Amino acid sequence: MDQSEIDALLKAAEAQPAGARPKKAEPAQEGQVISELDAVTNVTERETNKVMDQLDLINQLVGRQQALVTEVMKQPGAQDKAVQEAIRQIMASGKEIQDKVFEAMDLMQFQDITRQKLERIVFHLRQIHDYIVDLLGTGLKSEGERASISRSIHMTGTTPDEQKAQTDAVVEEFQKRQKKD
Amino acid sequence: MKILIVDDSSTMRRIIINTLSRIGYSDVVEAEHGKAGLEKLNQGGVEMIITDWNMPEMDGLEFVQNVRGQNPNIPILMVTTNAAKEDIVQALQAGVNNYVVKPFTPDTLKEKIESLLG
Repeated sequence: MDQSEIDALLKAAEAQPAGARPKKAEPAQEGQVISELDAVTNVTERETNKVMDQLDLINQLVGRQQALVTEVMKQPGAQDKAVQEAIRQIMASGKEIQDKVFEAMDLMQFQDITRQKLERIVFHLRQIHDYIVDLLGTGLKSEGERASISRSIHMTGTTPDEQKAQTDAVVEEFQKRQKKD
Repeated sequence: MKILIVDDSSTMRRIIINTLSRIGYSDVVEAEHGKAGLEKLNQGGVEMIITDWNMPEMDGLEFVQNVRGQNPNIPILMVTTNAAKEDIVQALQAGVNNYVVKPFTPDTLKEKIESLLG
C-alpha cells in the first residue's frame, strides 16, 4: 500500500458518518493489550510453579513411603516370601509414580514455549502500534526494552526426538567444517 | 561440579534443575538473564553453563560472546526455542559447544551434558 492509497483510505474514513466509524483506538489501549498479555504469562508461570510444587510434594511423599517400607523390611515377619513379594511390588509402584511425576514436570516446558509465542505476538503488536503512530503522527511509541523474541519456535507436530535429530545434524556439520578449516 | 543455569523462565530453570539432579548434578546456580549470569560466573567455581537464548537485559547470544571473551574453555550448552538452522549456526559461531531445542527430553539433556563433560 503506497502513501496515496493510505491517504485515500483516511479520506474515505473521515467522510463516513460518525456513527459508522469505528472508535479510534487510543495508544493506551494497545498498551493495555500488551500489559494484559504480560499478566497472562506471569499468571501462567506462577500457576505452573504451583503445579510443580505439588508434584515435588508427591515425590517427597513417595520417598517417605519407600523409607517406611524399608523399615518394615527389617521386621522379623517381613522375611516371609509373600510379604517380600508385596514389598517388592510396593517399591516398584513407588518408583513408577516418581517416574510419572518427573514426566509431568518435563511436560511443564509447554508454559515457557507458550510464553515465548505470546512474546512474539506482543512484539508484532508493538510494531503495528509504532507503525500507526508514525503514520498518523499522533500517540506515543512503545517504551521499554523486552526480551529478544524467538524467530523460529519449533514446529508443531515435530517431536522432541525429530527436533533433536535435526539439531544434531546441524551441530555435527558445523563441527566437521570447523575441523577442516 | 557446579553448573550455571541462565534462563528467564523460573519454570524452565526448575525443570532443568530437576533433570540435573536425576543424573547426579545437584550443585547448581541460577540467573534470570545474561547480565546476572556473568555476575554469577565471576563469583567463581562454575564448571559448565546451560543458557537460554531469548532473555531480557542481555540475551543468550551476547552472554555467550561475553563468556568466551573471558573463558574460552568452559562448556556451554544452549537450550532454547530457536529452532532454525541459521540460529543454531549463529549460536555455534558465538561459542556454544552444543545446542538443544525446547521442548527437550531428559535423555537429550543428559546425553548433551555427558558429552560436553566427557
